Amino acid sequence: MRAAFSLVPFATLALVEPAHAVVYMSLEQAQTMMFPGATLTPDFRMLSKEQAGAIEKAVGVAVRNRDLKIWRVSTGGWFIADQVVGKHEYIPIALGLDAGGAVMAVEILEYREAYGDQVRNPAWRGQFTGKRHGAAPTLTKDIQNISGATLSSRHITDGIKRLLATYALAIAQD
Amino acid sequence: MRSPLPRIERARPLLGTTVSIRVEGLAEDKAHRAIDAAFAEIALVHGLMSFQEQDSDISRLNYDACDRTIEVHPATFEVLHWAGRIAEASAGAFDVTVAPKLVAWDLLPAPRCRRQPDPAACWRDVELGDDCSSVRFRRPLWIDVSGIAKGYAVDRAIECIAHFGAQQVCVNAGGDLRVIGPDEERIALQLPMPADALPVLNIQDAAVASSSGHRTPHLFDGKICGSHVDTHRGTPVSANRFASVVAETCLLADALTKPVLALGSESEDMLRAFGAIAYFHDPASGWRQIAAISP
Repeated sequence: MRAAFSLVPFATLALVEPAHAVVYMSLEQAQTMMFPGATLTPDFRMLSKEQAGAIEKAVGVAVRNRDLKIWRVSTGGWFIADQVVGKHEYIPIALGLDAGGAVMAVEILEYREAYGDQVRNPAWRGQFTGKRHGAAPTLTKDIQNISGATLSSRHITDGIKRLLATYALAIAQD
Repeated sequence: MRSPLPRIERARPLLGTTVSIRVEGLAEDKAHRAIDAAFAEIALVHGLMSFQEQDSDISRLNYDACDRTIEVHPATFEVLHWAGRIAEASAGAFDVTVAPKLVAWDLLPAPRCRRQPDPAACWRDVELGDDCSSVRFRRPLWIDVSGIAKGYAVDRAIECIAHFGAQQVCVNAGGDLRVIGPDEERIALQLPMPADALPVLNIQDAAVASSSGHRTPHLFDGKICGSHVDTHRGTPVSANRFASVVAETCLLADALTKPVLALGSESEDMLRAFGAIAYFHDPASGWRQIAAISP
């Protein structure tokens, strides 16, 4: 076990994107991983306003986009691509359902996380304007992880609830 | 020699947060199998130790372990065993029986139970059987292990992937994380309040966890407080304190952040007992390192 602590002045970081972004996998990779060997056929559809209203009523989660990106799986089951609204950004997720509509797998495809709200706040960042000296270090590029108070994944679990209600109300009843 | 094998990283919503797993040094299909198995370990811990899910070991204990002995999964037993050791070493500053306070402050829903919790109950009332599988409460009480189980889940995931022969692995459960392998990794610590510098930890073969109360602010006695309990006073810890703990295992790092938040510098002996270090911040005195890695 080794550990070393240091403090890097924000002033030297002001030009660097203060977010930690990771691309985990593409949509195609998620499809192949969840349904190896199967053929996926797009069955995209637009939810009616009535369907969207019924989904919102059933789970208490807003349907921001009625455009449903869903694929039918040759071996049985469904694949849905969706986005949930995180604290600051959209988070793309993939959901695999079995033929009966039960969750087989959830994968987060990309994730972005701010280093801290204070860094996001323009007024806070503004106080460093003109105080930079020297070149901004590439430190943030090297940061692999963030440790802070735990971020809730409520927005993702709400998104999954919404998609399960979408399946029950708009797909299973077809 | 590092192999040129790819770096594979995936993430899923588990343990009430986003859990990401990164694996280096395995062929792609093997890496995915290793990650699948590790996610399954985390899902197992989630299912056994959730406070909210009614069929979890924790919910079964909270329901009536004061009236009868309950058989639990070995993983639950192991977590309760460590919870007891840390409670003892911290003189009760870490205590899984604080759940009724969290319920009273609306931070947790009230669980199903046969009898209402006894306000005098504490961690000493959680009795672990010699058979390493049975648990009984000496008084009616509620336990919440979410302050230790997340770290334990990370350890299980790491150990699972290590069996596949990966070189470098990182498992991160919403900021409670552990890395194994030859490479040093850089972790940014996220303070709850504006600061003039970004705190950064470089770690190798170590676990880090952090806590502060600012994501669950609530008013207590007119003051803004967080979700952590000062068990000696029965009040919440100030939402502005922040603690990161580095330890050999993520279970230790995760659990020890709570007594460090409550005790500050007074947690030094406890940290030494577990070979851990803390980085503690409060707005009045800034950063302090508590304890050190023994040479």
